[in-house]
Amino acid sequence: MSERRPYRRPMSPTWWANPPYRAYTLRELTGVAVAIYGLVLFFGLVCLALGPGAYDGYLAFLRSPFSIVLHLLLLAAMVYHVVTWFETLPKTQPKLIVDGKPFPAKKMTDIAIKVGAGCSLVLLLIAIWVGR
Amino acid sequence: MPEAATAVKTVELKILRYRPASDERPAFGSFKVPYTEDMSVLEALQTIKDTLDGTLSFRWSCRMAVCGSCGMMINGKPQLACNTLLRNLPPGPVTIEPLNNFPIERDLVVSVGDFVKKIESIYPYIIPKEPKTVAEGPYLQTPAQLAAYESFSDCINCMLCYAACPQFGENPNFIGPGAMALLQRYNGDSRDGGQQKRLDTIHGEDGVWSCTAVGYCSEVCPKQVDPANAVNQNKTNSAFDFFLRFLRPGGAR
Ligand code: SF4
Ligand code: FES
Repeated sequence: MSERRPYRRPMSPTWWANPPYRAYTLRELTGVAVAIYGLVLFFGLVCLALGPGAYDGYLAFLRSPFSIVLHLLLLAAMVYHVVTWFETLPKTQPKLIVDGKPFPAKKMTDIAIKVGAGCSLVLLLIAIWVGR
Repeated sequence: MPEAATAVKTVELKILRYRPASDERPAFGSFKVPYTEDMSVLEALQTIKDTLDGTLSFRWSCRMAVCGSCGMMINGKPQLACNTLLRNLPPGPVTIEPLNNFPIERDLVVSVGDFVKKIESIYPYIIPKEPKTVAEGPYLQTPAQLAAYESFSDCINCMLCYAACPQFGENPNFIGPGAMALLQRYNGDSRDGGQQKRLDTIHGEDGVWSCTAVGYCSEVCPKQVDPANAVNQNKTNSAFDFFLRFLRPGGAR
């Protein structure tokens, strides 16, 4: 007679909140920060369409301490999002063979982060130059 | 040499036991075995089976990280018992459970049937681009062509990556990291022509699209196979195939 009675253990309902999955959950949550930042820009666009009065109000909001704190928090979340995304990047690529050897994932991440940082810097300089 | 007057050092193992004939549900049992510096978790389990409780069930064969039989949760992390030395674990009792996300058959033995079916489903063999007779000679490959898939051929089917995958835990039908590593081992092989056939098996939620790039599977893999890479690069292939099949003759249904 068979004694088989496979037992399926339930998953912990809070698996996403604990290591080793916490970093992953955080990475996914920082996607919300990206969306919030998009909303802020979108409101700016709407205010611009509504006329000078509305746009001045939007600028005043941007200068408020609340907005500055919000932007610092969003920036931190974005940086985390960008770095973790570039760490994931090599996993989404077909194997890159350079000189007959697989290209190291770590190097790919490093290059991507440097290019990303470089682009941001150039963008910032252009923004400063335009806004002079 | 002075007489070893000190008491024998021991190590405590807390093992999740489940005997389907008598146990309603799994429960922890505790064992103490003499500890030596060079002891693996597998050896500790064998000592228990040999000297304390012969009914303790677990799988093993090669005891050298090659056969992939001895995967289990050691202090909550999926690891090979033969490849995990007690001295590298933090002091105190060692917690041992069967692999997460799999039905438990008995003690540390889990069901592998579904995993084997998944492996069978992806055509795990070379389907030659152009069939050759023996007289026509071997299929040749350059070192660079070998490097394109070689790491995926290192998989030992230990299923640690499945125990690490919360999406497999949520959806047991998800093809999962290990089978995808094997798929990529063949799809990435320059001699192979079965890419389309295999791609057709991995669309949808039960295919690659259950994956949310958690990435823990690649971290726990004892052979650096990087199964997360196999899954995620095939999302691109699956997406392309979805759009391009309308252009293929006889592709769209
Ligand atoms: S990919 Fe790695 S962890 Fe997964 S079954 Fe193969 S060897 Fe084990
Ligand atoms: S006994 Fe073969 S992998 Fe551990």
